[in-house]
Amino acid sequence: MTNPLRDPQDRRLPRIPEPCALVIFGVTGDLARKKLIPAVYDLANRGLLPPSFAVLGFARRDWGDGDFEDLARKAAQNGARTTWREEVWSRLAGNIKFVPGSFEDDAAFDHLAQTLDDLHDDAGIPGNAAFYLSIPPSAFPVVLKQLERTGMSDNAKSGGWRRVVVEKPFGYDLASARQLNDLVDDAFTAQDVFRIDHYLGKETVQNIMALRFANNLFEPVWNSNYVDSVQITMAEDVGIGTRAGFYDTVGTARDVLQNHLLQLLALVAMEEPTAFDADAIRTEKLKVLNAIKVPTDVFTQTVRGQYLTGWVAGERVPGYLEEKNVPAESKTETYVAVRLGIQNRRWAGVPFYIRAGKRLPRRVTELAVLFKKAPHLPFNDADVEMLGNNQLVIRVQPDEGVMLKFGSKVPGTQMEVRDIAMDFQYGEAFTDASPEAYERLILDVLIGDKTLFPDSAEVNASWNVIDPLEEAWSGSTPEPYRAGEWGPRAADEMLAREGRAWRRA
Amino acid sequence: MIGLWDTTGIEVVKALANERRSAGGLTSGLALTLIAVVDERQVREAEAAATIAASAHPCRLLIIVRADVTQQRSRLDAEIVVGGRLGPCEAVVMRMQGRLALHAESVVMPLLAPDVPVVTWWQCSPPERIAYDPLGVVADRRITDSAQSDDPVMALRVRSDDYVPGDTDLAWSRITPWRTLLAGAFDANRVGVKAATIVAPELDPTALLLGGWLEARLGVHPSRVTGTGKIMEAVNLELADGTAMNLVRDLNAGVATLQRTGQPDRILPLSRRPLGDELAEELRRLDPDQPYASALAAGTGKRRLGERTAPRVHIWKDPALAERPEAAAAPLQGSVAP
Repeated sequence: MTNPLRDPQDRRLPRIPEPCALVIFGVTGDLARKKLIPAVYDLANRGLLPPSFAVLGFARRDWGDGDFEDLARKAAQNGARTTWREEVWSRLAGNIKFVPGSFEDDAAFDHLAQTLDDLHDDAGIPGNAAFYLSIPPSAFPVVLKQLERTGMSDNAKSGGWRRVVVEKPFGYDLASARQLNDLVDDAFTAQDVFRIDHYLGKETVQNIMALRFANNLFEPVWNSNYVDSVQITMAEDVGIGTRAGFYDTVGTARDVLQNHLLQLLALVAMEEPTAFDADAIRTEKLKVLNAIKVPTDVFTQTVRGQYLTGWVAGERVPGYLEEKNVPAESKTETYVAVRLGIQNRRWAGVPFYIRAGKRLPRRVTELAVLFKKAPHLPFNDADVEMLGNNQLVIRVQPDEGVMLKFGSKVPGTQMEVRDIAMDFQYGEAFTDASPEAYERLILDVLIGDKTLFPDSAEVNASWNVIDPLEEAWSGSTPEPYRAGEWGPRAADEMLAREGRAWRRA
Repeated sequence: MIGLWDTTGIEVVKALANERRSAGGLTSGLALTLIAVVDERQVREAEAAATIAASAHPCRLLIIVRADVTQQRSRLDAEIVVGGRLGPCEAVVMRMQGRLALHAESVVMPLLAPDVPVVTWWQCSPPERIAYDPLGVVADRRITDSAQSDDPVMALRVRSDDYVPGDTDLAWSRITPWRTLLAGAFDANRVGVKAATIVAPELDPTALLLGGWLEARLGVHPSRVTGTGKIMEAVNLELADGTAMNLVRDLNAGVATLQRTGQPDRILPLSRRPLGDELAEELRRLDPDQPYASALAAGTGKRRLGERTAPRVHIWKDPALAERPEAAAAPLQGSVAP
């Protein structure tokens, strides 16, 4: 029987998951403390969790429920974006449980399975659970084996749904990604696997689809007839921080290009989905990811960089090689710029320039669509000297919004045309009330909505782009750039050779 | 901020344009114009609510304070605030005295942002028929608050007589938390409902709407029990299998308890939201709210409110006539209102 109180026309009622449990592995880690626990609190505070809801933490600590509750309370208090309400927390805390143990410990997993089963009677949760693997990928096999062994990953045995959430990195290359997928899909069924790319939880990223497919204004010019090139930038002003051990084995391309940036590219370049649902959107994203053309001459069409000592935001910062725990002769890149093409009728001949880097002048992520210049200008050459390409820029973070840049007459008695920027801020930045990406994504996992989650085919298609690049780069030394600059000179030269320049993001 | 004393509508339009220019951010995402019709003594409350709502929905906010219409001399005072104390919106607070207060639209019309939806919100008793107020006629969405009236239930009945799609009452957004919890409780319920009881004070418009909603969705006419408190206290449902499901509000703690036969009690959040949040919820959707129409229809015994279509046409009605009978006797020149 469907719920008679739910009416599709009734848009005031929020979507609320069925009674369920969220099991977090690695609950003492950074991600859990800074993002997951605060997100769960915020969801509870906004009344978006079901009447029966439990959080189970699993980690190798000799703790009781009380110790864990202290940690969780601190994490939630520090990280929550909504106001702190003791009664919300005490209600949530009553259903927070901690299961101690190592991943090899069979008894601990039996205990976890038992705790989940007990929720059936104690809390009225009929077997629904999501397992959040907030652990290094190297620990995946043993944890997944344990979940399989105890039957916890089995939908039928548990009497409800069982879902698993994995974070990037989704493997190290195509082969390892496949291996990881097989592993996860073996334990769970493919449709119960949720891969989190937190960029897709951002309001502006979802707005790309609204902008493109809800309007008639942009789509007619969204093709190679009118678009000159597309620039996608993800700049960070921070360095690698304490992640040296992880970062040095990975590099920028694997860290962010493979997932965030290619997902953004897919959203900008994809065809219109036949419906706004997970399957239809995935089909279109996959098509465009498969159509990406990797440069034939990797060395003229990609640039890798590594930051040197320099000044960023008024502070002197060490170079990559001087960062703690980075090997002195490391050839890992902290900046990458690539020129990709998309082989289909819409985008043939349009270069997609993508760059990402650390220790750049400021933190910004944006997508810029640069339009071709007008085929004929009836003005004097001198009048239009300052007229550039029309641009439509979608700023993902910070200051989410859309910017349109076009030519306009300089007021005065002479005809003089110059670029002006029409800056439009709407959405996430406008209101503090809009949800953090993790909140949205955790809620979607519990509801079972896969629209904002890339699937394994998309992950594999992305690795198909990255692998040939990594292969060509192996052994080469990245170009140095000073911290606080917009990347190595070679990246500017790469665009200059084609008569273009990077936007100053 | 600019304050204009004893000014004209044209001056206000100019001052708003000036203030926007000097504020720098010339383009902003303007989603709607919100007209707030407010009683003098509730200006602060309305401003606070509109500030919260504007932070979620970028808007041009026009606050109209209508003072005594029987004053001999008409007078307009205006205060223009762009991105200041009223949050990230462009706001004009206008106080109107004398006959001008009956023609507020003459000042408001040129201030409406071009071609974005207009929402009119009465933070006071709304006119008996919205068609009497040109500010209601020009609006795409109209928000009333029956709780402002002395007899809120009667006020809601008046609203159902006068209803056309696009009207809502804040009593409806006040029960969204109740409806959320009830719908959530039904997610895990597989049986039908035999009977429903709502425990609430007699003159509670929210109970009328909640009852109407349950009746429209479940096909059960809920009975009413007068409670002891000043607000709605509980919804008790008798299910087809003989078990009971009760949602009982704790009047002080901001929570409700969900009691189900054979299951442990659950404590759920249920607190009164600030007026601004309720207003922001109203502004989220600017299309007609059909579930509200069905709930109002079921609650007041009307039929097919959702099918009423006719857009309103302004009907001239002078509230001063009753107080100044001599005005009625005065000859009108043509059809022009005095």
